[in-house]
Amino acid sequence: MAALLVMLTLDSLAVIRPGGANVPLYTVINQHIDYRFDPKRGHDMPVIGEPDPLFGKPLNAAAAAVLIDKGKMVIQSRACMDCHTIFGNGAYYAPDLTKAWLDPAWETWQAITGAATREDAMVTFLMDPVKYRTWTRTMPNLGITQSEAEATVGYLKWIAAVDTNGFPPNFGHMQSTP
Amino acid sequence: MSGLSLLETGLLLGLYVALGGSYGLVYAIAHLKGASILHGMSFILYALHGLVAIAIIVGTPLQVGWKGLVVVSSAAFLAIPPITWRFLRVTHETEAQG
Amino acid sequence: MYRSQHLALKYLTAAIALFGVMTLAGLMAAYYYINPDFLFGLLHFNITKILHIDTLVIWLLMGFIGAIYWFLPEEFGRELVGIWAAEILFYVFCAAVAVVAVVFIVVQYGSSDETALWFINQGRKYVEAPRWAAIGVVVVMLVFAFNVLGTAYATRRITGITAVLMIDLVPLILLYLDAFPAITNMSEDQFWWWWLVHLWVEATWEVLIGCIMAWTVMQLLGTSRRIVETWLYIEVALVLGTGILGLGHHYFWIGTPNYWLTIGGFFSALEPLPLLRMVIHAIYDAGTHHMKTTNRPAFYWMMAEAFGNFLGGGVWGFMITLPQVNLYAHGTQWTVSHGHFAFWGAYACGVLSVIYLVVQKVRGLGHVNGALWKWSFAALNIGLIGMVGALLVSGFAQAFVERAIGGSTHEAFIAGQENRWFVEGMVTRLIFGLLFAAGYVALVWNLVTVGRRVPVLTAASEVK
Repeated sequence: MAALLVMLTLDSLAVIRPGGANVPLYTVINQHIDYRFDPKRGHDMPVIGEPDPLFGKPLNAAAAAVLIDKGKMVIQSRACMDCHTIFGNGAYYAPDLTKAWLDPAWETWQAITGAATREDAMVTFLMDPVKYRTWTRTMPNLGITQSEAEATVGYLKWIAAVDTNGFPPNFGHMQSTP
Repeated sequence: MSGLSLLETGLLLGLYVALGGSYGLVYAIAHLKGASILHGMSFILYALHGLVAIAIIVGTPLQVGWKGLVVVSSAAFLAIPPITWRFLRVTHETEAQG
Repeated sequence: MYRSQHLALKYLTAAIALFGVMTLAGLMAAYYYINPDFLFGLLHFNITKILHIDTLVIWLLMGFIGAIYWFLPEEFGRELVGIWAAEILFYVFCAAVAVVAVVFIVVQYGSSDETALWFINQGRKYVEAPRWAAIGVVVVMLVFAFNVLGTAYATRRITGITAVLMIDLVPLILLYLDAFPAITNMSEDQFWWWWLVHLWVEATWEVLIGCIMAWTVMQLLGTSRRIVETWLYIEVALVLGTGILGLGHHYFWIGTPNYWLTIGGFFSALEPLPLLRMVIHAIYDAGTHHMKTTNRPAFYWMMAEAFGNFLGGGVWGFMITLPQVNLYAHGTQWTVSHGHFAFWGAYACGVLSVIYLVVQKVRGLGHVNGALWKWSFAALNIGLIGMVGALLVSGFAQAFVERAIGGSTHEAFIAGQENRWFVEGMVTRLIFGLLFAAGYVALVWNLVTVGRRVPVLTAASEVK
């Protein structure tokens, strides 16, 4: 069993490295990300589209890596996954963030924050989540700076492009009948 | 999967293992006590486990491979208690004689 | 009493104390769901949850270490090699736990840099403790391994149980190395994180508790070593046979290849089968001894271990392990229901059994019985089962409303959390949590007083 696990691990690591079959390069944040049903797979799949740089500024591979690194450090230093989940792992007090980049709720925050773009609304929210609260269960202020917020948003955009075998299910599609 | 079939499937899967375990539990107690009513109860529990297995196969949207696994597991649930009990008796009796 | 057995008592005492911290933090974490403004601006859910789950890991680890320090000198027939180092490290370990907890509560967050990871909070579930403390844990485990291996070498005597234990210590310690890295790629981070978490609680810890229960059964029921070791080998083989590739049930949705859906689902579906054998074995042991034992609480907690392991790990796990169900259940309160039940049944009950056995030996009691342990046993188990049931209802509601119907968005999440069944489940969970906490208080009182103030019953320890 252990030997088989080692073999499958080596194969899996190749698939999940950035640029591997299921995980995009960090520079995917320069592009539009959509999520559409794939009949061959039987579930929604990330679709990488035309150029759509984050904050209007395209980043080369090195700069994108720096941004994504910082985003992960924010997520760890603020223990985000002890309230939220990513890929369904973490804590269950706050929403799953796997497809947060694609969530329609950001339209509301764009309106509340007066932000021009989704990413600007996300940054404004992260820097003062108490001010822009919309629910009784409020995200606390974690002292996130502007650059940290931008890095976190970049991280969330990259995460949304990972092929998660259709998790979370039916994202964005409400079912009419139970 | 629809919401209702999700809950039904989850519950049936849990009940499947719980009934399999209950059969094993009552089987063991029956062999301890030697009471025929308990032997009867263990058969009934396994029969219920079998019915739940059929419900899973017929009534849930699980893929065919997983339904096959349910059938094979049911055989394992049937076999494990007698095999385990026999092995327990043999190892303890050999010890007592030795 | 050997020096290492004195140390065992210290570890087991610390374990029970941390069990209390875990319970308190759990009650608080449950309360946030009822009153989201609770301590807002002072102490938030994530820190409280960290305290709850990290003390869970540490109290159980301390329970294992204490149990092993208790049994090993009798197993080897001599004092453990290098025990002086372990004695010092015990106090260092406790101090480190205290410092880490205070920093979690008072400092809470650092900036997005290495300093935060080294000294404040690493933010990875179960292993949030800063790196300096993780180093401390490694040192404690290495000295522990040295105590075990060094004594085996000195005596040139290895029993079956100690052989299994020593082999198990190697992956146990190596896997903990995942407590250190901060991998940028979340898929890879979670890939290795599951090696640590799954191969601890569904593999190496199962082997550890198997060894500990083997010694417990020998002392509690007088079962022969030959029988106990035969069964240990079989159970370890079955648990590892299903558990090692059962790791794949955590690789459904993290970006890993599709074959994990089949492999992980298949092997984890088999995981309940070894647990069924344990239930049958427990019945055999109980029946052939006609429920006669000189230590009723130790015996009952051991039974609870066998049943709880099967129910919490086997039944509850099987509900959510197949990928088609897991897609909806993953990361909901359904998972939480399974997690609480499985940890309780697989580990907590076993540690409590050993603690009662140790108390009997230390106080030289002929019999251990009474009323208080029964109240504690009932309150803890009914409390736990009540919490698990309530969480199951909330989990069903969440999977149904948020995932199946709602489209798994932010709005769907809120709809699930506000669903009437979900909310009632969370309130019920807190109520049963309070019962559980009362059971803990009774447990502590019983452990402190049994054999001291209350006269122990002798003839009444047998049941018709």
